[in-house]
Amino acid sequence: MEDDLHSFLPLSPATLHILLSLAGEDLHGYGIMQEVARQSEGKYKLGPGTLYDNLQKLIQREWVEELGRRAGDDDPRRRYYRLTLAGRRVLEAEIARLAEVVREARARLQIARPSTAKPRRV
Amino acid sequence: MMLRRIYRCVLRLHPPAFRSRFGDEILSIFDQAKGKLSGFHLLMDGMLSLVRQWTLRPEFWRESVSSPTPQAALDGIPSFYILSPFRPRPTAVVPGLILSIAIFSLTCVAIKYSWIQVLHIRIPEAQFEAPQWIPPNASANGVSNRTTEPVLHDQPATSSVPNAHAQTPEAASHAASNTSTPSAVATKSRKNGAVQPLPIPRSTAQKSKGNEIAPTSPESEQLAAQPLTTTAPSTFAEDTTLDAAARHRVIDGTSAIVTKYYVDAEVAQKMAIALRDHETNGDDNEATDGPTFADLLTSQMRDVSQDKYVAVIYSVVKTSENSPVPTAEEVARYTKDMKQNNCTLEKVAMLPHNIGHLKFNSFPDASICRQTAAAAMATLNHADAIIFDLRDNAGGYANMVALIATYLFDRPTHLNDFYDRSRNSTEESWTLPPVPGNRLADKPAFVLTSSTTFSAAEGFSYDLKMLKRATLVGETTSGRGHMGAPHRIDDHFTILVPSMKVINPISKTNWEGTGVEPDVKVKAADALRTAINLAEGNLQKK
Repeated sequence: MEDDLHSFLPLSPATLHILLSLAGEDLHGYGIMQEVARQSEGKYKLGPGTLYDNLQKLIQREWVEELGRRAGDDDPRRRYYRLTLAGRRVLEAEIARLAEVVREARARLQIARPSTAKPRRV
Repeated sequence: MMLRRIYRCVLRLHPPAFRSRFGDEILSIFDQAKGKLSGFHLLMDGMLSLVRQWTLRPEFWRESVSSPTPQAALDGIPSFYILSPFRPRPTAVVPGLILSIAIFSLTCVAIKYSWIQVLHIRIPEAQFEAPQWIPPNASANGVSNRTTEPVLHDQPATSSVPNAHAQTPEAASHAASNTSTPSAVATKSRKNGAVQPLPIPRSTAQKSKGNEIAPTSPESEQLAAQPLTTTAPSTFAEDTTLDAAARHRVIDGTSAIVTKYYVDAEVAQKMAIALRDHETNGDDNEATDGPTFADLLTSQMRDVSQDKYVAVIYSVVKTSENSPVPTAEEVARYTKDMKQNNCTLEKVAMLPHNIGHLKFNSFPDASICRQTAAAAMATLNHADAIIFDLRDNAGGYANMVALIATYLFDRPTHLNDFYDRSRNSTEESWTLPPVPGNRLADKPAFVLTSSTTFSAAEGFSYDLKMLKRATLVGETTSGRGHMGAPHRIDDHFTILVPSMKVINPISKTNWEGTGVEPDVKVKAADALRTAINLAEGNLQKK
């Protein structure tokens, strides 16, 4: 299982950000976008097209599941998404990998403030 | 609102599975995020996702779309559903795409060539019906048109109304081109760089070589109109018989005009004598109708002069006096025509290796087209070499020749002299003072010529060749170095007489009859390629 997970790594920035945003709570699409923007301090702007393209893939891999609509929501068109157990493990594996990269980078370059991989468009 | 509609269209183009599953949500986000994200960003994101869905996610295409029954489509707007379960394999898309592009290209090529065919074949007929006006763009390609067109301008009825007037097509065509060219160029020469628009009779300037320059005289108007009127048999029946006295009057008139105006006095004398001799010998006795007689006189004069631009024309309709100055209406028509046709400027382009390519199909009156020409030259100002494409150029005004040539010199340069026989005067044509900021004065120049490059375009080529300022590439040109105008003999007979000629200050002669020889002789179709190769070779040496 672990090997399977590692075959997906490294994650694309969009995937990483989406998984990360769902790690805290269940969100709808727009919520994910806002959360991604917040996490990246506005540097990574995820468009809806990119978001759902990734969600489609993540749902198919069963890293994310769809919860459906919520009664009483502002917009009845919204559906909510949740990180599955498998998704969480992938995310953890990726974070561990990144931490390793950061550690390695610090050792070699002695950079004071390493950050996560620079977001790039997938 | 507009943006939303476009965005919805983009969404609708997504694979059905994706669209039905996420379409609503995406649109909801679009509605919410519109203020915060830029519309452009959202749209690009949508496009990107569209491309990605169709190219990278074939595994999702088959998903869902459970029932083929139409559902309420996205946002209440109906869309299409596929009823058949068949879908092409993803890999079939690429060959399909290539095939579509190939078919599209073939169709375009086919249309292009068929259109040229249409131009060549149809235009003369169109003129026949409407001799007053010819679509100007026909002219550009009209290599083959040129010889036939003039006939149709002035003598549209020749073929269909045999007796209306007897011009042979050949004679008529020469006549027509003569008419126009002579005085037009004459005028321009006198006013080098100044404004003397010589309106084009009924053909547009570029159309037929001659006409473009031609001053429209009332006569030519009537000539054009004539076929229409003459079709009624009763109209020309009365005019068809010429007795000896009538012929004598015409011969007298012809001799007088030829002697006075024809560019070469000696040849003019010979023509007048020949006309007289033929009359005395009774060679004209058979010619009892106007058209036959006009043809006869034309051939008698050509036999002596070997000048195919001399022609006597018979017109059933009475011709009025010559009008030396174009009417306001004619000027307006020419101006409008030039505006509609971008002053016959067909192409201004920077080719690879910084080679400028300028293709124009006449030398329009600088007073009307100065800005267009200046803008074109400014576009090419940074070129390292420049190619003037005159292969379809039907000539025009000397003031434009001087204007364009100005860019190739760093000082006013003597291009040509125009000798006017009837006035016994010579006018000089010079380039203008250098244009500020011009960088082309020392750049290699090439002129592309063809066998149909005509009149002023030949002048441009010849001048630059004599000045060793350009390399001529292509075919030997038409050979029109004289200019003339129509002169009225009487109510029905008109004569076209070349009365002016170009004299190059270096060669002391011109290209009349011989054409301008290119420096590099290649087929017109290959001229551009050849010139580019030469230019590139030149530039590499530097």
